[in-house]
Amino acid sequence: MLPDEILTQLDKQYPCREFQIQQLASLYFSNLPSPPLLIAHGLTATGKTSIIKSLLALSTIPHTIINLQECITGRHLLERTVSSVLDALDEYNDERIDRRPYSRTENLSVLANHLQKILEGHKKFVLVFDGIDKQREAPYTFLPGLARFSELIPALSLILITTLPISLELRKPGTPHLPFPPYSRSSLLTILSQNPPKIFLTQPSEEQYPDYTPDLAAEDDAWLWGRFLGAVYDSLSKHTGRDLVSFRNTSLRLWRDFVAPVVDGTFGTRDFSRLMVNRRHIFQGEEAVLDRIISSQNAENESAQTHSTAIIKKKRDVGMQHDLPYYSKYLLISAYLASYNPSRTDSTYFMKHTDRRKNKRKVNTNAGATKSKHRRIARHLLTPSPFPLDRVLAIFRGLIDGPVPQLADIYTQIATLTSMRLLVRVGGVGGDALEAGARWRVNFGWEWVRGLGRGVGIEVGEYLVGGVDV
Amino acid sequence: MEYERCYIYTPPETDERAPKRRRINKANSQAQLQERIQIYRETWFHQQERIQATLEEADRVTLEKIINFVSASAQTDYAEPVSIPTGLVIAGPSIASHGPFFERLGRKIKDETNSAYFLLNSGDSSNLKTFLKNLIKKAMSRVDADDEDDLGRIGSSSRNGPKLLDFDLGHLQEWHARSRADRIVVAIQDSEAFDANLLVEIIELFYSWLDRLPFVLLFGIATSAESFEDRLTGKAPRYLQGQKFNVTQSDEIIEKLFSATIASTDVSLRIGPNLSRRILERQKDHVQNVQDFSDSLKYAYMSHFYANYPSLFLKQDITFKDLPPDVFEATRNLPSFRRRVEDMLDSGRAQEVRKLLDSDQYLFENIVEHVQSGQEVLSALSTAGMVIVRVRQALQMSAQVPLSSIWIRAASGEMMGSPLLRETMLSIKKAPSDRLAQLLSSLEDLEGIDFPVDLKAYRKDLDELNKDNTTSTPLRSQHDVRNDNLRTTVVAQKVLLSKHKAALSERDKAYSELVGHFHDELDTYFTTAFIDPRALFLSEILMYDLKSPHTEVFQPKPRFAIERALASPHDYLGCDCCGDADGGRDADAALSATQPATAIIYRLYLESGSLINVSDLWSAFNALAGEEEDAESKTMALFQRAIAELKYLGLLKPSKKKIDHAAKVMWKGL
Repeated sequence: MLPDEILTQLDKQYPCREFQIQQLASLYFSNLPSPPLLIAHGLTATGKTSIIKSLLALSTIPHTIINLQECITGRHLLERTVSSVLDALDEYNDERIDRRPYSRTENLSVLANHLQKILEGHKKFVLVFDGIDKQREAPYTFLPGLARFSELIPALSLILITTLPISLELRKPGTPHLPFPPYSRSSLLTILSQNPPKIFLTQPSEEQYPDYTPDLAAEDDAWLWGRFLGAVYDSLSKHTGRDLVSFRNTSLRLWRDFVAPVVDGTFGTRDFSRLMVNRRHIFQGEEAVLDRIISSQNAENESAQTHSTAIIKKKRDVGMQHDLPYYSKYLLISAYLASYNPSRTDSTYFMKHTDRRKNKRKVNTNAGATKSKHRRIARHLLTPSPFPLDRVLAIFRGLIDGPVPQLADIYTQIATLTSMRLLVRVGGVGGDALEAGARWRVNFGWEWVRGLGRGVGIEVGEYLVGGVDV
Repeated sequence: MEYERCYIYTPPETDERAPKRRRINKANSQAQLQERIQIYRETWFHQQERIQATLEEADRVTLEKIINFVSASAQTDYAEPVSIPTGLVIAGPSIASHGPFFERLGRKIKDETNSAYFLLNSGDSSNLKTFLKNLIKKAMSRVDADDEDDLGRIGSSSRNGPKLLDFDLGHLQEWHARSRADRIVVAIQDSEAFDANLLVEIIELFYSWLDRLPFVLLFGIATSAESFEDRLTGKAPRYLQGQKFNVTQSDEIIEKLFSATIASTDVSLRIGPNLSRRILERQKDHVQNVQDFSDSLKYAYMSHFYANYPSLFLKQDITFKDLPPDVFEATRNLPSFRRRVEDMLDSGRAQEVRKLLDSDQYLFENIVEHVQSGQEVLSALSTAGMVIVRVRQALQMSAQVPLSSIWIRAASGEMMGSPLLRETMLSIKKAPSDRLAQLLSSLEDLEGIDFPVDLKAYRKDLDELNKDNTTSTPLRSQHDVRNDNLRTTVVAQKVLLSKHKAALSERDKAYSELVGHFHDELDTYFTTAFIDPRALFLSEILMYDLKSPHTEVFQPKPRFAIERALASPHDYLGCDCCGDADGGRDADAALSATQPATAIIYRLYLESGSLINVSDLWSAFNALAGEEEDAESKTMALFQRAIAELKYLGLLKPSKKKIDHAAKVMWKGL
């Protein structure tokens, strides 16, 4: 394929990236020597990897792309580089290089040595490291070493793809950088409006609407989608996630909800302003901008309910959660209290034989009410503080009415809660999990423990020092 | 022998008889143990089958849903991957039952869909490298099992060129190309125990391989899907797309298991009410764990057959010849046998009593007959329990009472005259005809073998009455509240309230009669069925209700035992010197020099605050245990050893807060 044809095809495939494509093409397609090292940098979802990948795939240059995220260790990266370079050359020349000398690649200098040998006699080879900043356990010498590869291996030209420019780490001045700036609003709209989703999932029946042809429908789709994209960008994506992927996800999540009145026939396909007013609530919530594993569409398909009943359903779902054993709930509540109450107040809150609780608490609330110089932060908003195990057990026995035998089951429950990461051991890793000296912390929040307490008839806020004003 | 590190101790042989000997020849407690073990195995085999069937039935719906999800995920073509199909399996807080569940799931997935299934848990995946290594090892070992040729090829590749490192997913790719599975299901059993960063790394890595390997992820979650999602940071949630699956709640499963095993109509050995209550309470309060339930059941069965000689009689078609005379002697010592003999004497059947005591043959026939009839009575009891549950369901009574609690009450003989039964019977009286029809049909479904009430006759009568009912309103009985109305009359400035029955139509009258009849018949049925099973002759054989081995095995009290041993060593030592001088109870309070040094120190330790001044402790100890002035070094040695022992037990810890002080770590009674 001629370079010009490649360019037009790529431009079509990746709109709004003409400048970068042009540059890459002029650097790598001409017969002139390519730059020994190029840094392509840009934020996420700016088309760095895809453009370089497609460009090289369309070209006739032997190349290989290594995704550093897939390399678990530094050694893994080196081995992988050698074998993929060999694979690429095998494929390019349609012959099999003897691989026996390259069976081991222990470090960077061996890699240089190997590449030197492999690429001997080749004119040009492009090696792309994608996501060079994502490399796990990268040694300090890795980047500077790579930067100087071209001094040893003239045929090699490296492209490093990274999020931020890394000129300092390279320790080599004068490396060419190719920036991929984030897409602007207009570019985002141009890109996304190329493939408008359908308004009607099933084409309206021909008998009823004989003049609504698929062409007409496609035109409507494009028109409404374009308008809709603008609205989504201005209302949500501008402030939450401006990159292409987040924007696309948000728009797609909202789309079906947005066109629902059109589908059921309340509005026409071109009543954009009325649709906006009617569906304004979907632009107000945060559901669309959050990435969730269980998509809301799935949930809605299951229930097919209106907005208000959906909330009720959500509440029921929370209730559907698996119930913890009775004493486990008390243990968690005690652990929460042990984390958030200072230990000196324990005797006032949990001693059974004195009834000084009320007086003492009044003092505490007064202290909070007197506006001291610096505002006190409510306790439950702070991080939990560690506590020893015996304190939880003591509070546990203080909370529960009646005696609880000292069964081993209590310890079993603590161990279970630990493996569920509701209780976390702080420090002293290793050794016996139930050792008396160990310190613990809770790993859940106020809302949850309040619900838990109400489940067993305890208002946790009453026992929390300083009280809670929610 | 000091120079040897270890040696075999051979006691000196003497010809003299030992001063104190146990009788070992005569009463052989292990008699017929083999037979009893055999009976136990047969009985338990049936129970285990039931348990297995119940568990599989309980999981079936969830498993099917997951399998549908997995097989649906393959149909999307994975050339252009958007996200990894992910199933969030909310398996509840009973962590111990996750393992068997995921194993069953794996078996089913492999059987019913063309996919590979790898189960990984946190134990063998401390970091990304080991996680991948394990995953690949699991995949490769499967191939090795399939065909041997591959093994050599992988090993030899190192000589021919670069070899893949053992955590490279390239191995999996190679394997996948050969095995041609539609998808690779990776199940992470305990997602909570994984480090959040590790999870994110795994997800990102799998996502980047998704164009080559068709991954499906399953996460086992003990808490909730929301908390799982909250733990994932960055872009990870974007890479996952899936559904949530709820595994059946464990209390429901326990309830089902209970009705299938303990309250079932055809079991030969029943677990008594006290033990069942204890097992159920433990499930509710402490652990929710299906395995534990079946373990405690199994243990109860074992204890019954291993330790109870007359349990031999539970053997199917037993003959007199098989039995040694000892077993009859044992039976004659049972409390229920004595009770029966006394009853017979009271009613003047001395001849029969004589025969029971003298003739083993006669006793044998008696026992066989009574075991048989006792089984029938007990299964009638279970049936009656199920009938009550059905009645309450059909009448839609508000308070849901599970079968387990009804059965426990019935088995402890509290059912007759209980408010629950009364309430149920009253609401039968009040039931309108449509409810009654439902009730009848639900009782007909019950495969009650022994249900004396002739449901068909009632059904026929009811249909006859309903036949000429033209209106849609059901027939009402005379006890229905809607037939009552309240009248107020004012006589001499006093308000009189009087209840009046509304006039009943002919058909309603006939219906009331029918209902009344049904009620009476059911009432007599319950009266015959709900007896106190513990009063039965040979109830010791038919029912196991001892709680002590169960509590000792399943609910030990380790901390309490240590604390008790230290606080009142007399309980364990049983010597004359310590305490007990003034009549037992006060032994707890008295501190004396004759007690072990550790116990004395422990008592002093209990009296102190959270920081203990060691020097004070020493002077207190010396005052108590020190004998003479010059023996101080000996006392000091005792003191130091006691302190070291407390430290070893984890009760005491050196403290940096204050000089010469030790920190108290454990309080008594927690």
